[in-house]
Amino acid sequence: MKPYILGAISCSLLALASAANANDRIKFDFWHGLTGQLGEVVERQCALFNGSQTEYEVTCTGQGGYDMAEQNTIAAFRAGEQPTIVQMYEIGTVNFMLSGAIYPANQFAKDHGLDIDWSAYFPGIANYYATSTGEMWSFPYNSSTAVFYWNKDAWAKIGKDHAPQTWDELGADLAAMKEAGIECGFAFDYDAWMNLEQFSAVNALPVATMDNGYGGLGAEVTFHETPFVDHMQRYKDWVDQGFARVQTQQTGKSLVQAFADGTCASMVHTIGNHSVIKDTQVDGLNWDVTLMPVIDVDNRHNSIVGGAALWVLQGKSPEEYKAAAAFLAYVTGAETGERYMVENTGYIPVTLPGFELLKNSGFYEQDRFRGREVAIASLTASDVTPLTRGIRLGNHIAIRNEIRTAMETFLSGKADVKTAVTEAAERSNQTLRRFEQTYRGAELP
Amino acid sequence: MNKRATFSNSWLAAALLLPQLLLVFIFFYWPSGEALWWSFTLERPFGGGNEWVGFYNYLSVLQDSRYWGSVRVSVIFAIAASALSILLALMLAVFVDRRMRGHQILKTGFFLPYALAAPAVGLAFRFIFAPDAGLIAGINRVFPGLWNPALDGNDALTLIILAQAWSLVGYNFIFFLAGLQSIPRALLEAGAMDGAGPLRRVWDLQLPLLAPTLFFLLVINITDSFVNSFGIVDIVTSGGPARATELMVYKVYTDGFQGKDSSLAATQSVILMVLIMALTFVQFRFIERKVHYN
Amino acid sequence: MIERTPVFDAIVQVLLVLSFVALLLPFWVVLVAASHDFHTVNQVPMPLLPGRHLFENLATAWEKGNFSRVMVNSLIVAIAVTAGKIALAAISAFAIVYFDFRLKKLAFWAIFITLMLPLEVRIVPTYSVAADVLAPFEAILNLTGLSVDLPQWSLLNSYSGLVLPLVATATGTFLYRQFFMTVPDELAEAARMDGSGPLRFFWDILLPLSRANMIALATIMFVFAWNQYLWPLLIITDQANFATATMQLQKVVPNGVWGEPPVWNTAMAANLIVLFPPVLVTLLLQRWFVRGLISAEK
Repeated sequence: MKPYILGAISCSLLALASAANANDRIKFDFWHGLTGQLGEVVERQCALFNGSQTEYEVTCTGQGGYDMAEQNTIAAFRAGEQPTIVQMYEIGTVNFMLSGAIYPANQFAKDHGLDIDWSAYFPGIANYYATSTGEMWSFPYNSSTAVFYWNKDAWAKIGKDHAPQTWDELGADLAAMKEAGIECGFAFDYDAWMNLEQFSAVNALPVATMDNGYGGLGAEVTFHETPFVDHMQRYKDWVDQGFARVQTQQTGKSLVQAFADGTCASMVHTIGNHSVIKDTQVDGLNWDVTLMPVIDVDNRHNSIVGGAALWVLQGKSPEEYKAAAAFLAYVTGAETGERYMVENTGYIPVTLPGFELLKNSGFYEQDRFRGREVAIASLTASDVTPLTRGIRLGNHIAIRNEIRTAMETFLSGKADVKTAVTEAAERSNQTLRRFEQTYRGAELP
Repeated sequence: MNKRATFSNSWLAAALLLPQLLLVFIFFYWPSGEALWWSFTLERPFGGGNEWVGFYNYLSVLQDSRYWGSVRVSVIFAIAASALSILLALMLAVFVDRRMRGHQILKTGFFLPYALAAPAVGLAFRFIFAPDAGLIAGINRVFPGLWNPALDGNDALTLIILAQAWSLVGYNFIFFLAGLQSIPRALLEAGAMDGAGPLRRVWDLQLPLLAPTLFFLLVINITDSFVNSFGIVDIVTSGGPARATELMVYKVYTDGFQGKDSSLAATQSVILMVLIMALTFVQFRFIERKVHYN
Repeated sequence: MIERTPVFDAIVQVLLVLSFVALLLPFWVVLVAASHDFHTVNQVPMPLLPGRHLFENLATAWEKGNFSRVMVNSLIVAIAVTAGKIALAAISAFAIVYFDFRLKKLAFWAIFITLMLPLEVRIVPTYSVAADVLAPFEAILNLTGLSVDLPQWSLLNSYSGLVLPLVATATGTFLYRQFFMTVPDELAEAARMDGSGPLRFFWDILLPLSRANMIALATIMFVFAWNQYLWPLLIITDQANFATATMQLQKVVPNGVWGEPPVWNTAMAANLIVLFPPVLVTLLLQRWFVRGLISAEK
């Protein structure tokens, strides 16, 4: 027998053996909503889990985006074909909590001997995915929060070596920058997560009644009666005075692009873009991140989380749950989960031990990652209060769209700030009443 | 539908129609029926408990002034985009049919827009039309503020009309070309002998013979602009600024697919369907009359 | 060329070239984006001329999208949809135009209305049907009082699941209806006089006549099936075996999630790869266009 035939035979025997082995494994499905390189990171993590042991096998399927992952999970659940674990973005939390389709995380961990120290999660993260009574229903996965990005060279031109702490200070800096010939000192877009939700959290302002909706489905938005309106007025004035600019994809450059190529000197954005800016910035751009400006430095509160969590769904077999438990242990582990995610993406660690592990290993001293610890400082800037747990409102996407509409309306001069924001609030409340009626008789946990 | 010569074997006709009707029933009518029923209830995303609310959903949609704005924009969009792409495609097809130098390359080129997948279209349009960074930025340097789809609703509407027309040109072009090729060459040559110039021949000979194709494309383009345009809106303007490009179907998409309010989406779909059916009916009733089939 | 009209031809030529440029501009942008490195493609404005990284990006995209495997799936699905659709459209339009029966208008409109509701609206119930195709019949039979239990026939993770729902739409039927209406009545009369049955008439006379339309429809349907995104992504969870080429785009195209590296160069290279088969098919089919024309001229 010729050697290559032997080789081929042993190869196929090997393949057979491993196939048999694969068939012996308990398989289960995990659907995620990340795309592009982030999706790749998730899928590599699945492969690492499959390679780390021989009992279980996870099949990871990208669904092409968070909204599609949610829609597909709904369709599959209604047909009894749901995956065991699904990754869902933070604003899908209400729908999932009310769905009756969820195997709550804390219960799941207890039932399957998952050793998870719930108190280790940063409160700013844990509270977002917890019920009003503080029970976590999902496992925080990829997380981020908002920080202030600033161009040190631009500030040097006005003789300052530190970033502004308050919005008033930023306003003064912007005026000075304009004097100094800087065309765009600050840029923003229409995003409600940064402009409304994070702004309200760090200043401890309510977005809605009943503890921002945690207290029940009867909540009403109140952002048209808080300093959020003044904040929007400030944006409008800054644009009119030539201090600031709107940067969206429609104008040609997104916020991140405008900051990374030096066009605009500062912005508020997610820490997740720290790595994107490192990779795309023009040579020599001298920048840093710091805490988001606040109205009053003595009243700084924690910012809230963005990103997604892992949810376990009802209706799967005990074997699949056993396998899922092993997977969840793997992806929540400080080394195999948090460290892996933080090193490969712009996301942040979600527990204190995970953060300590990274810090002690010198992670944040590497030039590429320096500054990313600001996110943790922001999430832990204060104890979590009822106004800084998070936002729990039905059809959250529609409310975010209302904010965008309001900003576009007052910036194009079709209405003044107060009118536009008030209309956004009224329409948001109509949406909330509709949501409440849809879930009549159901109780938000 | 008045063919003189017909066959009268009903069983055969039924057999010929059965496969199509069966598929349509299983994959369209049955699921759509369920979706449409939701328009009279408040349906929860994951199921479980839905309450009969009669016409509540319809009233809340129809009483919203913003909704009527979106109807208006949709009608303008559909008519403008269809007209633009049909006219352009017709012109191109007639010219290519003259088979001058390079017509093979042109033919493939004209079809390419249709074959390009959505993410690529979005990136390209953003690149070309972005007011401060795109190719069009030059115009803005000369006339500041002339073009700003990020803040001016009319500019944004123009932009999505162009994008939709662009994406449909390839589709229309192919069918026009097929239609032109079915016209016997001899007929055109006879026309040329009679001294009719090329434009005259288009008007007198080719257009009437193309009428069935033209009618087909008109109906399909208008329907498609109403029903399948949310991809383009999502990528190019996301419905903004200040809802100026929020087409009816984009609203269906954001309320239902993103906001997970199935009942609201179903209600708007019914209204959208009724509107398209009315439009289609008008087209069959009044425009098809002018089409001579043989 | 029928006659010589040099001035007119020149104007036409210019117009054609201008339209060509305008229509291909976006395509050019995609090509340029696919040919630069990560850093250059993220400059604003992006360069107007191609860079030197095209093949490198294509190779990266090819590998990331696992295209050597999924192209075959897409090809199977697109060909099956095209063939199925043309066959169904032709026979159903034939029935509607050439037969006289009471429900013919209703049948036409029943098929036609399917154009009017996008999949996004009915995605949840359509998924249910795909998971259990016989469920509607079971429900109907149960309504009539017969309590039956049909087996569950699921189309999830299968080629039939990718193909069948796409075959069930109306464009083709409408197009064939339009074409059959233009066929002179005398032809059908003659066929009847000859004593040849409807099927013989359909096969021997109508189909050959409709060749140009058939090719146009095939081109469109192939691209339509090829570019399907939402439906495959929903019903295929066994992506190792059944993923289609367009589905793979989600693995390379950035979706605007914050913190996602905007690797547009690889993304656009992937788009070029996905675009290639439809363009090739178009080119091949258009050769038939021309051939048909020549034989008609004889």
